[in-house]
Amino acid sequence: MFTLHKTRGGVHPPQLKDMRDYACKFIDAPQRVRIPLNMHIGAPCHPVVKPGDHVYVGTLIGEGQGLYAPVHASISGTVVGTDEEKLPTGAMAQVVVIDSDGKMQPDPELKAPSYRTKDEFIDVVRASGTVGLGGAAFPTWFKMRAPEGKRFEYLVVNGMECEPYITSDFRQMMEHPDRVAGGVHRIAEALDIPAAVIGVEDNKPEAVERLRETIKANGWDDRVEVMSIPTKYPAGGEKVLIHAATGRDVPAGGLPVDAGCLVINVTTAARVEYFCQTGRPLVFKVMTIAGDCVKNPGNYLVPIGMSVRDIIESAGGLTEEPRKIIMGGPMMGRTLDDIDCPVIKANNAILLLSDSAVLPEETACIRCGRCVRACPLGLMPFALDAAGRRQDVVALDEHAVMNCMECGSCVYACPAHRRIVASIRGGKVLYRSETARLTQPKEA
Amino acid sequence: MNLINEASPHLHGRQSTQLIMGCVIVALLPTLVAATVLYGIDALVLTLTCVVTAIVCEQVCCMLMRRKSTVGDLSCIVTAILLAFTLPATCALWVAALGTAFAIVVVKMLFGGIGNNFANPAVAGRVFIMVALPSALSSYPDTVLKSVDAVSSATPLAMAASGDMPLSIMNLALGAHAGALGETCLVTLLAGYVFLLVMKVVDGWATLPFIATVGLIMGLSGQDAVFHLLAGGLALGAFFMATDYTTTPMTPQGKVIFGIGCGLITALVRIFAPAPEGVAFSILFMNLFVPLIDRYTRSQLVGGAKHDII
Repeated sequence: MFTLHKTRGGVHPPQLKDMRDYACKFIDAPQRVRIPLNMHIGAPCHPVVKPGDHVYVGTLIGEGQGLYAPVHASISGTVVGTDEEKLPTGAMAQVVVIDSDGKMQPDPELKAPSYRTKDEFIDVVRASGTVGLGGAAFPTWFKMRAPEGKRFEYLVVNGMECEPYITSDFRQMMEHPDRVAGGVHRIAEALDIPAAVIGVEDNKPEAVERLRETIKANGWDDRVEVMSIPTKYPAGGEKVLIHAATGRDVPAGGLPVDAGCLVINVTTAARVEYFCQTGRPLVFKVMTIAGDCVKNPGNYLVPIGMSVRDIIESAGGLTEEPRKIIMGGPMMGRTLDDIDCPVIKANNAILLLSDSAVLPEETACIRCGRCVRACPLGLMPFALDAAGRRQDVVALDEHAVMNCMECGSCVYACPAHRRIVASIRGGKVLYRSETARLTQPKEA
Repeated sequence: MNLINEASPHLHGRQSTQLIMGCVIVALLPTLVAATVLYGIDALVLTLTCVVTAIVCEQVCCMLMRRKSTVGDLSCIVTAILLAFTLPATCALWVAALGTAFAIVVVKMLFGGIGNNFANPAVAGRVFIMVALPSALSSYPDTVLKSVDAVSSATPLAMAASGDMPLSIMNLALGAHAGALGETCLVTLLAGYVFLLVMKVVDGWATLPFIATVGLIMGLSGQDAVFHLLAGGLALGAFFMATDYTTTPMTPQGKVIFGIGCGLITALVRIFAPAPEGVAFSILFMNLFVPLIDRYTRSQLVGGAKHDII
C-alpha cells in the first residue's frame, strides 16, 4: 500500500541509544505529586477535586472545555490543594498537589469504555486524557475530528524516535506490540481510515519485526502495515514522516489533514488501546533516563506530576553533578533550570549531562551551505540566523521564518556552531508581534 | 546546581571552520611539494612569506578591531597559499607580501573578516599585483628540472597565443613547464581536489560547469580544447577558488550558474583579450554576482508557499 519516498536534508547525529535493551520498570512512587492542569496545547483544565478529597490512580482531577485533555491522578492518596508551578516547557501552570497513601490503588470505578460511532470513539479518546506523546502534546481526540470538507486517507503512525538517547517508544513497541498495532488498527477502524502505516527507523529492526508479526497474527494487515524508513534525523518530524510514507507535502502553514493524513505517535496509539481495554487513563509515562551523570540509566515508568528531583533519586541518583538537564532529546529538548518541576504527559526523556554537554563557541558564518543542505524543509537557515539577529522582519518574512520546526539540523551541521535555532526563535517572537501590530485595526 | 540553560540543539557535529581550513591546507600541500621540486626552494620561500604576512596582518587587524583573534581558524593561511600559487617563483618577496597584505587587510578584514568578504582574497590579491605591479608578473621561470639555472620562458598559454606548438599532454599534467608555481602540476591539484571531495569539504557544482564551459567554448572556437583545459590556472581556479564558501553561491543551482559564468569569462579572455590568462578575472568578476545569484536561486520550500500567519 505504501512506498518509501526520499526526504530532503537531515543529519546523522550519533544514536546514543544505549538504553534500548533496558526493559521498562516502575519507578518507586513518590510521597507527593504535583500534577499540572495544562499539560496539553489548548485551554488549561480546572480542578474538579478539593483539598481533603481522596483520589485513586486514574481518578479525574481536572476537566476543561474546548481544546483540552482531561487530567487524572497518578497516585492514590489525598488532595492537598492547588498551587502554581513552572513546567518543563517554561510555562507557568496550576497544579493539583496530591500526597500519597503509599498504596497506588487504581480507581475501582474504572472500566473499559464502549463506543459504537466515530463521535463516541472520539469521546472515549478524550476521556483517556491522551495527548500527542511524541512531544507536541496536542489533544489526540481533537486531532481526530477532520474539519468540514476534509477527510483522512492515511493514518501515519510515528515510531521513528529519531532523537538520540531516547528509547521509550522503542520499549513500547518491543514490550507491547499488541497495544501499539492494536491501537493503530482500532483507531483506523473507528475513524474509518482505509490505510495505516507505522513508520519505524531502520535502526530498530527488532521493533519492525515484532510489529509485523503481531499484525499478521491478529489479522490486522487488512489496513495496517509497518514501514522501515532509513535512519536520519529528523525522519520522525511530522511533515518529514508524511512525505517519506505517502510522498505528500503538508502545505506550508497547514496541518497534516491538508495532506489527508492523521499522524499519531506509537505510544499515543498504545495508550488509546490500553484505555479501550481497561479504562485506565494516561497517568504514567515511559521516560528514558540517561546521560553520563546517571547511576542507573534506563527506561522508567514514571507517574505524571512527579518532580524531576524525585525521579532522579528513585532512579538511583547521580554519579556527579550535572551541568545540563534536558527534558526530551538532545536535538529538540529543553534545558531545565529548576529540578523541582513536575514531569508532564509529553515528556519522554530526562538527560543528565556532565561537562561533556558544554558546546563549542560560536564563530562567524562562512556561508558553507551545510545548513541549507541539512534543512528538511528547504529553508535557508543562515539567512534566518542573520535576519533574526538584526531583527529584520522583512527578511524573516522573505525567508519564511514561521515554516521552521526548530529541529536543529542546521546547528548540528554548522562548522561555526552558530546558534541558528535561538536566532530563529527570537525571530518568530518578533515576527508574530510585528504582524499582530500591522494587522491590528487602527484606532479611530 | 549550576545548570546551563540554553536553546536546543544540545548536540553539535564535530566539524569546525578550523577543521575545514585544515583540510584545504592538506589538499594544497602536495602541490606545494611539486612546486618546490619544479621551481626550486624559491617556491617554498615565497609561499612561506605569504603565510607569515597573512598571519601577521590578520592578527594585527583583529587587535585593531578589538576582536577575538581569528588566526586560529586557519583561513588566512589558505588565502596565503592560494595567492602564492598564482605567482611566479621568481616574484620578489616584497611584492608577494604586499599582495598578501592587500588580500587580508583590504579584501578580507575591512569587509568584516572571515565570511564577510565579497571577493576571494587570494584572487583579489593576485589581480592587485597584476594591476599595480605588472612587471612583477611579466616573466615566469621555467622548471629547474630542465636546466641548472631557472631561465624565464613563455608559459604554454603565451606560447599558444604567439602560435608556437603547445606542449605534450604529459608535460602539462606534470607541470614541467613555465608558469605560476602552484598552477602547473595538475596531478597534485587534482589529488588535492579529490581529497576535498572525499572529505565532503567541497562539491563539484561550480567546478565541473566551469571546466566544461571553458572546454566547450574553446573547442567551438576551433582551438585545442584539451590543451586549454590543462594549461594556465584553470585547475587551480576551478578546484580551489570557485569552491570557496564565502564568495560563491549557496545552492547547487547558484553554483552551476557561477561556474558557467566563470568558464564563459575565462574563455572569452583567452580568445579575445590581449592577456593570455583569464581565470583570476573571471572568478573575481563572478564573485560580484554572488548576492544576485543567491537571490534568485533559493532552495525550494517544502510545502510550497511560505507560512502566512496573517
